[in-house]
Amino acid sequence: MNSQSNNSRYMVDLVKVSKIYLPDIQALTDVSLSVNRGEILFLIGKSGAGKSTLLRLLSRMDKQTKGVVEVDGHDLSKIAGGKLQRLRRNIGFAFQDFKLLPDKTVAQNIAVAMEVSYTRSSVIRMRTKKLLHHLGLADKYNTPACELSRGEQQRVSIARAVANNPGLILADEPTGNLDRETTQLVMDLFRKYNERGATLVIATHDESIYRDTDHRIIELREGRIVNGHPAPEPDHAFADRMDEEQGSPEEDDLWMSDQ
Amino acid sequence: MNFIIAVFTQTFRNLFQTWSAQLLTLITITLSVLIFAFFYLIYTNVQHAGQQLDDDLRLVIYLDEEPAEEMQEEYRKKIVKFDKVERIEFVSSKEAYGRFAAQLEEDRDVLEDMPRDFLPPSIEVYPVRSLDTLTKIKRFSDYLVSLPGVLKVQYGREWVERFYTFVKLLRIIVFLSGSLLILTTTFMVANTIRLTLLSRKDELELLRLVGASTHYIRLPFFLEGALQGFIGSAAGMAALFLLFNWIKLRFAVSSIFQLFEFTFFPFPVVIAIIVISSLLCAGGSFSSTRKFLQL
Repeated sequence: MNSQSNNSRYMVDLVKVSKIYLPDIQALTDVSLSVNRGEILFLIGKSGAGKSTLLRLLSRMDKQTKGVVEVDGHDLSKIAGGKLQRLRRNIGFAFQDFKLLPDKTVAQNIAVAMEVSYTRSSVIRMRTKKLLHHLGLADKYNTPACELSRGEQQRVSIARAVANNPGLILADEPTGNLDRETTQLVMDLFRKYNERGATLVIATHDESIYRDTDHRIIELREGRIVNGHPAPEPDHAFADRMDEEQGSPEEDDLWMSDQ
Repeated sequence: MNFIIAVFTQTFRNLFQTWSAQLLTLITITLSVLIFAFFYLIYTNVQHAGQQLDDDLRLVIYLDEEPAEEMQEEYRKKIVKFDKVERIEFVSSKEAYGRFAAQLEEDRDVLEDMPRDFLPPSIEVYPVRSLDTLTKIKRFSDYLVSLPGVLKVQYGREWVERFYTFVKLLRIIVFLSGSLLILTTTFMVANTIRLTLLSRKDELELLRLVGASTHYIRLPFFLEGALQGFIGSAAGMAALFLLFNWIKLRFAVSSIFQLFEFTFFPFPVVIAIIVISSLLCAGGSFSSTRKFLQL
């Protein structure tokens, strides 16, 4: 993965987290939640349940009003400057509103995430092409983002979120504008990154992507967890496997390979 | 992609994307530098001309009686105490008579009945030929007249005062155009950068979210400002050089050009103006990004 992981037990750890937006909108109330490294977690719930707020807290776009938010072993209320920047490079966020730069091309939009890590331009080009190919956007490489449909913009946003090989991928309604076939492509992509060690937190109300899943599902309602299981004991075998994989780059798959 | 390449890529991308605003800023910087440098060039040349002035700057102190050896030394000390001088000459009544007679040439016989000491003894003070001395000459004269035994102090008053007024005016113009240069360059650049920042607000927010370092976000704007300053001031100096040569060629026969030698800035001064302008613009950009990005 992109940066060295901390030795913390969990990739994400929330303890009694509350978030109030001014003047008095209670978005989250006493949410405690842990996500193991390498886990895929589905956050479900109706609109306004607090899913997006939770993801925003995990990327430090917002600060919690109460409680502790830890990501990769860092307490987000205490982290700033260079440490926060490095942590953010290890978090890929597929935003619900995409946050694409409309006057830039698809390739430039995806490159942003890699450029801030000073990735070589040849590597950026290669990764961008592979991602676009996988997501069925190979012919859109030089298309300005403003000329894309919403479904295409969503896929570009997902490509940008994973392009830097982050350790934590946050996806906010990643399939909201996609048909069944494209949804499958996106979920395949997420699975590939998860197999490589990425932790995924997917906020969704698209039942089709979590209906038959073996992964943990947490339901939020009015800012509280109403249905969910605690994180299983950390999978040490998984961590060992990751270490082995990181030590043998020849086993890189299509998505991570820079060749 | 290493840091420096990334920063330069960002800088040139910014410049390319906002070229119309950049062009306006460049023109403003060029004009400001041209105006300032034009007056500064006149000022330095006038200063140079002041140094070329000869005996017109001599102050003659008329005394009521011939000073003795120790009195001469006393005068010398008091004069030097006020300001540095090139030389001090004591002219006795007899020497003054001799000079006067020599000036009269064939008409010197009019002096036949006059006593040899009818002219007062005097001290001739030759101040150091610099603009500073020139501006201080009136005060110098007022000081000398207050010395004991001094009847009167004479110098090319009218000429010096006119020259002094002209130099004073030039100083004000140079000061004002210099201030204009500082204000326009920093303000214009800060404003252009602010507009660029506003137009790229979403991009900057995204850069922060994907973990761009402070330097990665800020340096391109800093470089952009410095580059604007460099190109603008270099263009301003080039325009002044062309203007200077054109004036020199056009008015080569004019008497004033034959009287004094007019020269362009020496190379280090040109470099200094360009460097200072670049720094001012970079400073403008720096303050703008600091305020806007709150980094």
